[in-house]
This record gives sequence, C-alpha cells and structure tokens, in this order.
Amino acid sequence: MNKTLFAKEIRSNLFVSTVITIVLIMYVVVVVGMFDPELGKSLDIMMASMPEVFAAFGMANQSSTLLDFLINYLYGFLLTLFPFVLVLILANKLMVRYVDRGTMAYLLATPNSRVKIATTLALVFVVLLALVLAINAIVAFITAEMMFPGELDGIAFLQLNVGLFGLWLFLAGLCFCSACIFSNAGRALWVGGGLGIGFFLLQMVTQISDELEFLNNINPVMLFDPYGLASGEGQAILGAVALAAMGVILLVIGIVTFSRRDLSI
Amino acid sequence: MSDTNIKTIVVSELTKDYGNGRGVFDVTFSVEQGEVFGFLGPNGAGKTVTMRNLMGFIKPDRGTATINNMGCFTKREDIQNTLGYLPGEISIMDDMTGAAFLEFMARMKRLRDRQRMQELTRYFELDTSRKIRKMSKGTKQKVGLVCAFMASPNILLLDEPTSGLDPLMQNRFIELILEEKRRGTTVFLSSHLFEEVEKTCDRVAFIRAGKLAAIERMDDVRKSRKRVFSVTFADESDSRRYLTEHPTARKTGSGVEILVSGSIDGFVKELAGYSLSDMTMQEQSLEELFLHMYGMAEKQSATSVPKDDNQGKAVDHE
Repeated sequence: MNKTLFAKEIRSNLFVSTVITIVLIMYVVVVVGMFDPELGKSLDIMMASMPEVFAAFGMANQSSTLLDFLINYLYGFLLTLFPFVLVLILANKLMVRYVDRGTMAYLLATPNSRVKIATTLALVFVVLLALVLAINAIVAFITAEMMFPGELDGIAFLQLNVGLFGLWLFLAGLCFCSACIFSNAGRALWVGGGLGIGFFLLQMVTQISDELEFLNNINPVMLFDPYGLASGEGQAILGAVALAAMGVILLVIGIVTFSRRDLSI
Repeated sequence: MSDTNIKTIVVSELTKDYGNGRGVFDVTFSVEQGEVFGFLGPNGAGKTVTMRNLMGFIKPDRGTATINNMGCFTKREDIQNTLGYLPGEISIMDDMTGAAFLEFMARMKRLRDRQRMQELTRYFELDTSRKIRKMSKGTKQKVGLVCAFMASPNILLLDEPTSGLDPLMQNRFIELILEEKRRGTTVFLSSHLFEEVEKTCDRVAFIRAGKLAAIERMDDVRKSRKRVFSVTFADESDSRRYLTEHPTARKTGSGVEILVSGSIDGFVKELAGYSLSDMTMQEQSLEELFLHMYGMAEKQSATSVPKDDNQGKAVDHE
C-alpha cells in the first residue's frame, strides 16, 4: 500500500462518503423514531392491505421487537440499495475516471507497481465503506438506546451489521473488478453496476412471487439474510462470509487484471 | 556514434497493432546515454503508442522495448526510479491546486528535497496556488513539465512537451533541455513540430503511419533541408537577369521564388549584386521535408493501402 495515495484518496472521497452517511443516518434516526408498538400495529394493517408493495421492498415481516422493526424497514432495502450508489461513485472515482481521463499515467510514472496502486485504491474503497457502515450502525445504536433504552439487542445488532458489510464488500468487489477489467469507461462502470442493479431487481421480483423463488439460488445478494444474522443462524453467517469472500476475490481479480492489461493512457 | 556507447533505450522490431492501420509496426531504434533523441511525425503516426510502450502501459504484440536493459512492460516500476515522464495528454487531477499536486507527486516519487521543484516552478513562472481545473492548457503543461523534471531523472520521456506553451516558454523549455543535455540526461522527445526538435536533438527519427521512415543525424537533416526564399527585385530588369541566370527559380507575380538547400551563404552573396525591395524566407514544413527527403514514391506508398497488408494507412494530416 502507498500511504501518500491512500491519504490523498481518502481526502478526495470524504465529501461524497459523508453526504451518503448523513442521508443514511437521517433515515435510520427517523425509522428508529418511528418504532412504537402501537404504530407497528397500524403499519401491520397497512402491510396487510398491500402486501406485494411491502414485500417488494423487503418489508414483509411482522415486527414486534425494535431489531425486527429495523431489519424490516432498513436492512431489507435502504441499507442495501442506497449504499450501492456510493459503491458506484467510489468505483468511478477510484478507478474508472483515473484510467478514462489518463490521470493514471501520473500515478504510474512513479516507482510504484500497478499492483500497489490498485491495492491502495481498493483499500480506500473498503475502508470508506467500513467507516460509513460503522458510523451508521453506531448512530443507530445510540439513537435506539436513547429513545428505547434496553430495547435493542446489541450483539444481534452487531452481527447484523457485520453481515451487512459482507454484502457491501461483495458489491464493491463487483464494481471495482469491472472497473479494472474494461478499458471503455461506460463498460467499466456499468458492467459491474448493471449486475448489481440486476441482482437487486431479481431480489425484488422473487420477494413478490413464490414461483420465481428458484432464482434466489443464482442471486448472490440473497446470501444476505438479515433475520438469520440477527439470530446468529449458521446458514446466514456462512452466507455473509461467502459474500465477503467473493468481494475480496473480485477485488483481487481486479487488481491482478489491472496489473497485466494494456492501458491506453 | 561508436558501438562502445551505452544504449539507454533500445526498441527492437516493436509492433503494436490497434487495427485499421493504427499502432506501430516493426519500429527499431536506440537512444544512447546522454543523447537527445527526437521522434517526429504527424498526429496519429504512432508517437504516443511508442511512448506507452516505453512507459510499460501496453505490452508489445511483437518485438521488445528496454530501458537500461530492463523490459519496459515487466520492469516498469523499477525503470521509474530514474525516469521523468510527461504525458501527451494533460489530464491532471482537477480538484487539486498545482502546489498540492506537485507535492503529492513528489511524495509518490519519494523525492527528498523540493529545491529543484521550486527552481522549475520559478523558471516556468508557474502560479501553483490555483486549482488545476481553472488553469489554462499552457499552465497545465507547465505543471506537467515541473513534475517530469523535478526528480532530476537520468532519462526523460516527453510526449509533445511544448504543446500549449507560448513562444517565450517554448524557448525556456529548449534551454532546459540543453541544460539537461549538458548534465548528461538521456532525452527522448516526441513532437510534430520540427523547430523544437531541430534546436535540441542530436538525432531524429521520422515516423509516419506507424512505421519508422528514417533516423537521421540532426546535422545531416539541417544540411539537406531546403528553404524557400521569396525575393522581390527593385526593378524588372534585375528580375529578368536573375531568372535567365537561374532557370530553376520560379516567377511568382511581382517576385521570384528560389529553393535553397544547405548553406545559404553563396545565395545571399550573389543577391548582393542585385537591388532588392523585399525578401522573405519560409522553412520547409515537416511534410515538405518528408517529401523532399524520401521523394514522391514514399508519399504515394504511405497514402495508399498496400495490397499485401493493411499497415500503411493514410497519414493523418490534422
């Protein structure tokens, strides 16, 4: 890793990461504030009236505890799809644009190997996502403790968030790998991005229709099982580990490809 | 140059085919230590592709490129320890100020002191306090130049170094190259302008349509280079007298056009016997020089696609 590049890229991407974090925190605080067993009932009535709509956004479960409530309204959709926007922006800023505009030439005109440069950029990617997730989880936990002391199961909440990071890592790996492989800027960004969006759409479709449930077997995003993670189920933990592993493997494939390919810069 | 000289850059039968005649084909040349080597050719002739090979950005399809006996693609990061590079396209990180970018690059290059950087910044009268995004093309080019020279490298690869610079700064650049040459730096610079190459280089390679047309010593090029003088005589009788003595001279309107190659001494001394009202001189353009040095046959084979392969595509005249 190159410290100079690492520091520069963290600084350059801090603004966009902060904006996304703030937006996420706003949602999280609002959703935590919405928790009320009484209100929960009325939401349940609403859910019963249009189950497909709620199901499509992963909000189909009855929520009695605060944790279930958060999983239902945050971890099914908001905290999976919205950070994907950040993943796309970071993949674009950290790799796609560097190659497309030829700025990469300056980085490579230094005694640093391509592997080192790409590894540093991938690390910036992962560290920023980890920071966004950690800040978000901490704020959610503190808000919950302040509004409903003792309601939120801390260990389960931690497991849930660590598992969520596995999903984010997978998405990051997907987009970074694509950014490293393709020389055309559009393809570099949207092959990975398109696959990610495709997985999420597939998830929405299968949540509505039982007949299409077999598609879950080919959808890596379905490996993220928030309820299972919260209750510490082996299968769910395995799923999250698999997502994280795939993410790391994709990052490595990206870095290796980047170090071998032709760069028209 | 004798064989005992150390060859710093060696390019041998280098081929990189991008299809449609773009790329470089069987390019072979070498640059000796301490030599300033010019790489001349029109836009799209393959100058940047050659640079990319030397920088290890692309793998050759065939042939080899080495710097200090190290493979340009496989040992690229080791080569960078002693190399300064100016990319042909200026695309510097926009969101930084010039000073922040130079400091960042100095750290990336593990540069210990910033003295040379500051010297160069002053030399090019560069205001580094502004964001690069707001800089003019020429100012960005200066940032790139400072970046390439600031580590006092032993080898310089410069892709169209004076593009965007005003004439004053172009001269400063030429001075800087001559200073580097005295210091013993090996310089490989590409250009589509004959003038900057003429003033700095020991040898020059001509490339067109991806193929090396020739490598010449600068002195030889200078000798064979022709100049076109347009002379207007003070009275008609002088004009007639000159034309009868010089059948090759061409009458144009009120004046006479004379092609002079090599030394102009004899030509000027002879004109002293005439009374002139005006005289202008035109340097041959790079294209004209090509035509002159390699004849019309060269031109024709370069502008029509040969039957046996698709390599010699028309030259880009833009």
